[in-house]
Amino acid sequence: MNFFEAIFNYIGELFSERLFYFPSNIRISLLIILFCAIAVIELYFYIAFRRAHQASQQRQISYWKEHIDNVLANVIIYDETDDINEIIDHFYPKMKKIPLRNAIVNKILISEILTYHKNFTGKTAEVLSVLYRKLGLDKKTKKKIKNKNWETKIEGIREANEMEIIEMADVIIKYTDDEHSLLRMEAQAAYIKLSQNDPFHFLDRAQERILDWHQLVLFEIITKNKKLIIPSFSKWLRSTNDTVVMLCLKLIDHFMQFDAADEVQRLLKHHNPKIIKKSIEVIGKLELEDAEKHMFEVYFDHSDDIKLEILSSLGKISSGRYSDFLSSRIYSTDMKIKREALYAIKRDTDNGEKKLKEIYDQTTPENQALINHVLDSRIK
Amino acid sequence: MSKILIAEDEVLMLKALEFKLKKDGYQVDVASDGRQAMEKVKNGTYDLILTDIMMPFVGGMEILSYIKNDPIKKNTPVLLISAVGLENVVLEGFSLGADDFIYKPFNLNELSVRIKRYIKHNAF
Repeated sequence: MNFFEAIFNYIGELFSERLFYFPSNIRISLLIILFCAIAVIELYFYIAFRRAHQASQQRQISYWKEHIDNVLANVIIYDETDDINEIIDHFYPKMKKIPLRNAIVNKILISEILTYHKNFTGKTAEVLSVLYRKLGLDKKTKKKIKNKNWETKIEGIREANEMEIIEMADVIIKYTDDEHSLLRMEAQAAYIKLSQNDPFHFLDRAQERILDWHQLVLFEIITKNKKLIIPSFSKWLRSTNDTVVMLCLKLIDHFMQFDAADEVQRLLKHHNPKIIKKSIEVIGKLELEDAEKHMFEVYFDHSDDIKLEILSSLGKISSGRYSDFLSSRIYSTDMKIKREALYAIKRDTDNGEKKLKEIYDQTTPENQALINHVLDSRIK
Repeated sequence: MSKILIAEDEVLMLKALEFKLKKDGYQVDVASDGRQAMEKVKNGTYDLILTDIMMPFVGGMEILSYIKNDPIKKNTPVLLISAVGLENVVLEGFSLGADDFIYKPFNLNELSVRIKRYIKHNAF
């Protein structure tokens, strides 16, 4: 009888014959030990099974990844003279053999098509788009967008955006004002690209905030997309959503939309100081002479931050009508105000320097030092 | 047969470029990160180098700088691949001696024509 046989016999005898003769506390202890021992063995089996399953899944992923990599790499290396339909007819049957019902394989294929579509233009992108639809992957994208889980929705919206599934624009619009900020942002970015008739419609219905960094993302998308027809953004300057107004001001500034002049001037009386400041900046950039009077009217109602912006914009416009006002700022107690006003005077290329010299002759040594600083062409 | 080195950290892109250039009849060597690419550049001779700017360990700019400062290899055409067309990046690339810039997304056939032109030009 070997060691293990002896142990098993002892355990068998312990639980089948001797157990009933033990006091109850020993019996309970033995049963607990038995339960724990079985649990540990089960746990080991479970871990072994999971590892085997993961290894098999990994092998499957590697195999299909390699296979899909090769098929797709061959799809994209056609010659410019090749006909798109011929390429598709050649590769479609091969791709059809890929088990797309398998979720892992499906995910690999979609991810690789998206990567190639993102990196290549021309016929490559066209061929990939057609194959994407022919393989029915667009239907899966649509299902993802309609899924209840927000992460799956975002995944679907990204796919629709990259593969330009324009018919999804009508579904995506409802998520452009979703409570979930990430979903909202993905939907807005995708809607601009996918909507054929009114890519900026989401601004009409935006009640939720467009976060600062997302404004940057939208700004990049709008200014770099050459296919977009840029509307006059002045129509959203009356929006009740301040973040929409802010984004539109940035776009008016970038696209130099002079037709927005009246609406931008109206914003000088807006309740939000950030919008007032941005509208003053836009007035300066567009050099709107008519707005000078309005900026002067509100100058004393605002904080130093906005006063500085007004002085800077008056300098950019440089009509000369407010040079006395600018000169009088030299009596301000705030050094930044003085300096900005002096720079604003200097920007008047015809009379600026002459005016500064006039002030120089009549002011204190401290102000004279400041004027010397402003007139020094080495300091910007 | 002209020999080309492709340095690109995105595996899919590397494979696509390798397939395309092999189909065009070139002998292709690949590197999936900057350190590997630098090793290959130091130990081998290539007729053209196609490198991504952003790579782990060693960037495309460093590879470019090494080639253009090496008296033997300095005439090897270097084409930089970049996902961003930032002005300062482009200026830095050209000032270091880059022969061309390819911006993602790009047309593979156009890349193929550009490569052919640089290799032909360098052969004379």
